[in-house]
Amino acid sequence: MTSLTIEDFNRCVEDIVNISDKLMDGWKLQQNEGLENGKYIVKKEQKVLPLEQEGSTNFLLIFEYHVAFNISYGVPVLCFNVWKQDGSILTIEQFWKANKKFKDSNMHDTLTQMDHPVLRRPFLTLHPCRTHEIMEPFLERSKNPVVSWLSVVGPFVHLNLTEEYVKICSS
Amino acid sequence: MSSNLSYVQISSCVNPSFWNKLSELKLDVYKLDVSQQRIWGYYTVINSLSCPITVMEVDSTSFNREFSAHNHLLPFQGWILNTNTIEQFKECDKAELINSEGQKLYQKIKDGDVFENTSLLNTFFVLSFADLKRFHYYYWFAFPVPRHVVVEKVHECDLENVFSLEEVETLNSAYMNLNHCQKAYFIVKKRFGKVLEVHTVASVLKTITSEDIDDYYFAFHNISYDRCAVGSIFRNYIAFILYYCDFLQNRTANFISFNLSRVGSQITCKKSIVYKLKLPTKTKDFYTSWVGWEKNERDKMGPKLANMKNTLDPSVIAENAVDLNLKLMKWNLLPSVDLEKIRKTKCLLLGAGTLGCSVARTLLGWGIREITFVDNSTVSFSNPVRQSLFTYQDSVDMKPKSKAAADNLKNIFPGVNSVGHQMTIPMPGHSVGESMLEQTKQSVEKLTQLIKEHDVIFLLLDSRESRWLPTLIASVENKILINAALGFDSYLVMRHGIHNKNYANEAARHPEGYKVIPGNNLACYFCCDVTAPGDSLKGRTLDQQCTVTRPGVSQIAGALAVELSISVLQHKHGVFAPAYYTTSQTVPTQELTVSDDSVLGLVPHSIRGFLSSFEHILPATEKYKNCVACSDLIIKEYKEKQMEFLLNVFNSSKHLEDVALLTELFKETDFGEVLEFSDEDFST
Repeated sequence: MTSLTIEDFNRCVEDIVNISDKLMDGWKLQQNEGLENGKYIVKKEQKVLPLEQEGSTNFLLIFEYHVAFNISYGVPVLCFNVWKQDGSILTIEQFWKANKKFKDSNMHDTLTQMDHPVLRRPFLTLHPCRTHEIMEPFLERSKNPVVSWLSVVGPFVHLNLTEEYVKICSS
Repeated sequence: MSSNLSYVQISSCVNPSFWNKLSELKLDVYKLDVSQQRIWGYYTVINSLSCPITVMEVDSTSFNREFSAHNHLLPFQGWILNTNTIEQFKECDKAELINSEGQKLYQKIKDGDVFENTSLLNTFFVLSFADLKRFHYYYWFAFPVPRHVVVEKVHECDLENVFSLEEVETLNSAYMNLNHCQKAYFIVKKRFGKVLEVHTVASVLKTITSEDIDDYYFAFHNISYDRCAVGSIFRNYIAFILYYCDFLQNRTANFISFNLSRVGSQITCKKSIVYKLKLPTKTKDFYTSWVGWEKNERDKMGPKLANMKNTLDPSVIAENAVDLNLKLMKWNLLPSVDLEKIRKTKCLLLGAGTLGCSVARTLLGWGIREITFVDNSTVSFSNPVRQSLFTYQDSVDMKPKSKAAADNLKNIFPGVNSVGHQMTIPMPGHSVGESMLEQTKQSVEKLTQLIKEHDVIFLLLDSRESRWLPTLIASVENKILINAALGFDSYLVMRHGIHNKNYANEAARHPEGYKVIPGNNLACYFCCDVTAPGDSLKGRTLDQQCTVTRPGVSQIAGALAVELSISVLQHKHGVFAPAYYTTSQTVPTQELTVSDDSVLGLVPHSIRGFLSSFEHILPATEKYKNCVACSDLIIKEYKEKQMEFLLNVFNSSKHLEDVALLTELFKETDFGEVLEFSDEDFST
């Protein structure tokens, strides 16, 4: 495999959902009929994080993660939206302030706002231009390159995969 | 030692899609109907490691007829009352509302509906008002529970201390097999020496007697992370149990506070707690007095406000997306670019033709929000293919160009404040008769006013004469003026100097072979002959040929005009930014770097482009002391005599030559040897 096809991607995310169902981990498969890359997976998680602009008090935030396939880059993208309890969505600047993991690296290059590959609405997105670079070593070695990639990049945006997912990459 | 059981309320959490769906339904389905609508909420059954609060979420699926089940979610069933006005929202009686909600639940307990679906005990209510114009949502959640339920905690211990590991395992897997309607509340039966059994409430509750009560454990899914408390909705379970097991009043019974958590890849109920609780006596108002309104973020009993403008208003989404594009430029490529300055810049576009359309669109791209058009014609059938803001329909409707351009610009981007003025700019040599006198005066005043109100003036008109008055006024008002003119396959884009002489910035370091002209001392369109050297169309200026141009020329020149204006704005000296030029052919302009560049690079005086060779040159010229538009002679006369001077000029352009002392110059010199005349009315 030199690059990930849509079929590979679909198989990988279906595997993720199967494992998730067993673990009750919350990943759901969504499908937008009529689109070549219509399949994507979604998971919601709640977190408590400090939001700088509103004092240092902790806020309950809902993260909704999407993993979809970007056809022009030929890679999976991890995008997400974050909202407060009343439903108001964090801007990219608010998120940067709340996210300590990007402080030293150049987050403007890495985390940006892009249109969701399927829903075509703005989402915070890990920019796909470096994804192939990260995925390349996994394409040969991993049984599920999407999981391998996600386990590397996810933690930067508070998404952690349990070891059950990582296990299927090597089995 | 015994104490009373304490309660925590589940916390409401609204998915943005809930507001979106509510707005849709309000507009298309409910309209003015204020009857209560049934909705679903849900919560996650597995305790989260990252967030020690249980939230009940609502989203767009909340409005579905059936609960969209997922194996880790349990339902809440509720109602939404969306009022039509903020007054209704404020004035409706909250105590009465929650009591009537409680009554509904009591009815379901009495009728036995709860047996079929114990999750009915998890009930909620939303009072809301949606201000759809402002995308403001006022809302208040309630989780109705009976007011007087005081439960005494007689004894508590960990599940593992009561049941064997094997029994815990049985409980775990039996729970997983329960239908989601029965997972929130169920009953465990354990008789000494017998196997542990898990039952639905429906199958055993009515059979329990005061003799075998000790064999039963009333299990409930606990939403509290705090070991010392249970979810307030537990009170509904007590109300339900006491309704069917009257004998339990003032007696103790066993309860399991069921708790699912993740240990590695396993999901286990090990962390559950077993209680012995003493149930209360039913008071007279036990089933009639209800409470449960949620506190707001200030910890007060009161409604919340969700401002969803950024998320739901498409025009705001568009604005933010446009700004983000520019910010990416700032973040990645040009950290020192001042976007706020660009955003606040007001642009006046004189002419809404090919150039005006192209300039306006490029300005939008830079995040400019204030664009004013001035034009005197209407959209013709030949216009839309070249003039990118117009459509065929505009020509059918014969819309004034200024208005059509302003309207269509808003269609492209609603965040722009664009206005059109249908107006003819008074021109030298275009005599003003008695009947036109008043209108001409008004036009002069209006143009003067518009120039004063804007920061950057774009001269995009199709005749040379019409550029004269704005050139003069902008120079007097010290405004940045960008002029663009087209030839068949060539174009000129330039910035004008200003009248202000006070500012004298020293030339920055620059390579040898270059000359420098301070920004305020730059020539205007009328200072220099705009005819390109060696042009075969001798004596005709670019703009006079402009009706026949290669179609790309206006797009290129329009784009260059905007880019030049932005470079001026971003230069620390602004309109005073010096221009450098070379007289030698050996130093290519591309390699010219000077220490006071704009953050965007060079700020040339003029850009001449030739499509026949696809080349640009960047000449710079100083002001001409006898210029008919910007020289001191003209400005002095204009300042002294104002309208009188202008009317003289409108009536005869010869007057300009007199004031600029050109007439004298002609007498002294064989003018043809020095300069070429651009047309018979004008000589520069």
